[in-house]
Amino acid sequence: MSEVMTMEAPTAPAAVAAAPVLEARGLSKRYGSTEAVTGLDLRVGPSEIYCLLGPNGAGKTTTIHLFLGFLEPTAGSVRVMGLDVAAEPLESKRRLAYVPEQVMLYRNLSGLENLEYFAALGGTGSLAPERLTDILVGAGLPPDAVGQRVSEYSKGMRQKVGIAIAIAKEAGALLLDEPTSGLDPKASNEFSELLERLRDRGVAVLMATHDLFRAKETGTRVGIMRHGRLVNEMSTDEIGHADLERIYLEHMHE
Amino acid sequence: MTLRTVLRNEWRLLAADPALRVVLGVFAVLFVYALANGMAWAGFQERTVEAARTGNAERVEALEQELADIANGGRPSSPFRDPRAPNVLGGARGARTAVLEPGPLTALAVGQSDLLPYYYDVSIYTNEATFQQNGEVENPLNLMVGRFDLAFVTVYLLPLLVLALSYNVLSEEREQGTLALTLSQPVSARDVVLAKLAFRAVLVVGLAAAVSLLGILATGGFGSPGRVLLWCGTVTVYALFWFALAAWVNGLRRSSAWNATALVGAWLVLVVVLPAAVNFAAGLLHPLPSRVEMITAQREASNDAVNQRSELLARYLEDHPEMAGGVVAEEPGLGALAWAATDAVNSRLEEVTAVHDARRADQLALVRRYRFLSPALLAQEVLVDAAGTGDARFARFQSQVRAFADEWRQFFVPAILASERMDAGVLPDVPVFSFVDEGPADVAGRAAVPLLVLGGLVVLVSAGAAARLGRVRGAD
Repeated sequence: MSEVMTMEAPTAPAAVAAAPVLEARGLSKRYGSTEAVTGLDLRVGPSEIYCLLGPNGAGKTTTIHLFLGFLEPTAGSVRVMGLDVAAEPLESKRRLAYVPEQVMLYRNLSGLENLEYFAALGGTGSLAPERLTDILVGAGLPPDAVGQRVSEYSKGMRQKVGIAIAIAKEAGALLLDEPTSGLDPKASNEFSELLERLRDRGVAVLMATHDLFRAKETGTRVGIMRHGRLVNEMSTDEIGHADLERIYLEHMHE
Repeated sequence: MTLRTVLRNEWRLLAADPALRVVLGVFAVLFVYALANGMAWAGFQERTVEAARTGNAERVEALEQELADIANGGRPSSPFRDPRAPNVLGGARGARTAVLEPGPLTALAVGQSDLLPYYYDVSIYTNEATFQQNGEVENPLNLMVGRFDLAFVTVYLLPLLVLALSYNVLSEEREQGTLALTLSQPVSARDVVLAKLAFRAVLVVGLAAAVSLLGILATGGFGSPGRVLLWCGTVTVYALFWFALAAWVNGLRRSSAWNATALVGAWLVLVVVLPAAVNFAAGLLHPLPSRVEMITAQREASNDAVNQRSELLARYLEDHPEMAGGVVAEEPGLGALAWAATDAVNSRLEEVTAVHDARRADQLALVRRYRFLSPALLAQEVLVDAAGTGDARFARFQSQVRAFADEWRQFFVPAILASERMDAGVLPDVPVFSFVDEGPADVAGRAAVPLLVLGGLVVLVSAGAAARLGRVRGAD
């Protein structure tokens, strides 16, 4: 992870530096008669790790996809560093990194080749193989696996390559969808440390997760979603583990 | 940047995927085999043409020798084959073989050059029957399905290569899960698909162009740069049509299996069913008269004419008053009577073959009208025309042979009617056939419309594909 620590801090354009990095205003997404997200107002500032909690179908992944521009809002708007995602989808994605729940890569290529490809697509330019290797190892991939084909990787190893891709992009905002679901406890802890380092560099993180413990430990704020609505939002400094679990369960039983 | 990045990644994926390499390898073998097949035919045609030329020279030399011998007091080799008789010198003994040189790119597209005669023996007896028959005995299966040449591989099989490489260009990314990570980068699905298809297009068109240029190099076809350009341009536009279709189908966001089924179905309809339907309709709506009936009519005409020689001669002289008044011998000889019969046969044959030719013209007109239904028909037409083995060049050859046969008759018939004797002195004045080939402007003029339509289809389908792919925002 030491290499990651030496990364340059992401730089936001001066015009949007003071604005929230990630912002949703009155955001709604409807599929037919189903409201996946309803009237969501959300702001994630620099150096913040915002954890979105909620059961399956609560609208967490939909929210992340709306930030990525994968979906078009039915109402409201999504902004990344002040840029309207709908109006400037490519520019806003240039400022975002994303780690999906299941990181799927080109199976016939190595982790290094996958990272090189996605990093180049992300606009980081051509990075030297040594630099890419450092990023992969920094994300927790064993050095001897760097050149192996991804078809030989475990789910956790693929997840680490996904994290490396996000790190290599040096984006000001990071979107994570259940990022630790394939990781063992040790790797999950390392991932939490990595997030804290990114936070210290000013990165804004929006993480959808079921893991209340990690949300409390890593997050700076948590939001609880249910039926597409943000039903509660609090700072993790204000609550303990037991409180978070109780509050969460209370909302689930409403 | 996106283009270069995707191209590099695609190259890596190709290098790491044995199945793709096998597909490309199989098609490379097919291309090379098709070229070898075409070259074999072109070589055969060249040898035949050369043999015809040698035959012409040998016949003239033999006649010169015999006429010189006779002039020196010798006797004809046979009283019935006396070269001094104009019906012998202008008949079978002195006949000239008019040849059509192989098209400049025959090795790439045999076209109809194996079906249509590319040489005729021209004598005073040349008539419409001559143009209705082909002296070569050819494997009927070859004639039915066409030669396995580069044009065949390009028109029929190249689309399958394009589809095999492109049917899942987007759907596979979605199915294997890489699309989410890809589209989270600052790139659009349209640009990624375009770059992936560009990589495949370079591979496919590069393979087709490389084998074509190899064939052109081996057969000296670079002497016709316009045709080479037309060939390569047509292959490129035709391949682009299929790439555009694959892009459009991928833009529908269905599964890879669905895409494969839809694209193979499109191939079947556009390449197999529609051309076959057009041919079937042409035969059904404008059936050719029975060939057997035509030959029988020709024979009957010939028999009637022989039986009525004297009567026919009188009619001939009535029809050709310029031949009377001293030109024709007062007592017509056997040669004059025979010619009168021949001329009568020719007139009857023209009536018989006119029906056949009119139906054939109707068929061609129908095929030309409906060729726009199938990009395969359009591409084949231009490729064969570019190679110089299509209908147009053959028709030009046949028309020039007809004119040459007229010229030949004009030279010998007056002497036959006048029962004159000829000597070696006339040989330098005997008409000579020389095919005047078409110019690049003729070929380009014919290719313009089908190529424009093909190009228009590419633009249309590409625009549809771009619109569809532009709506792909996420991985679902």
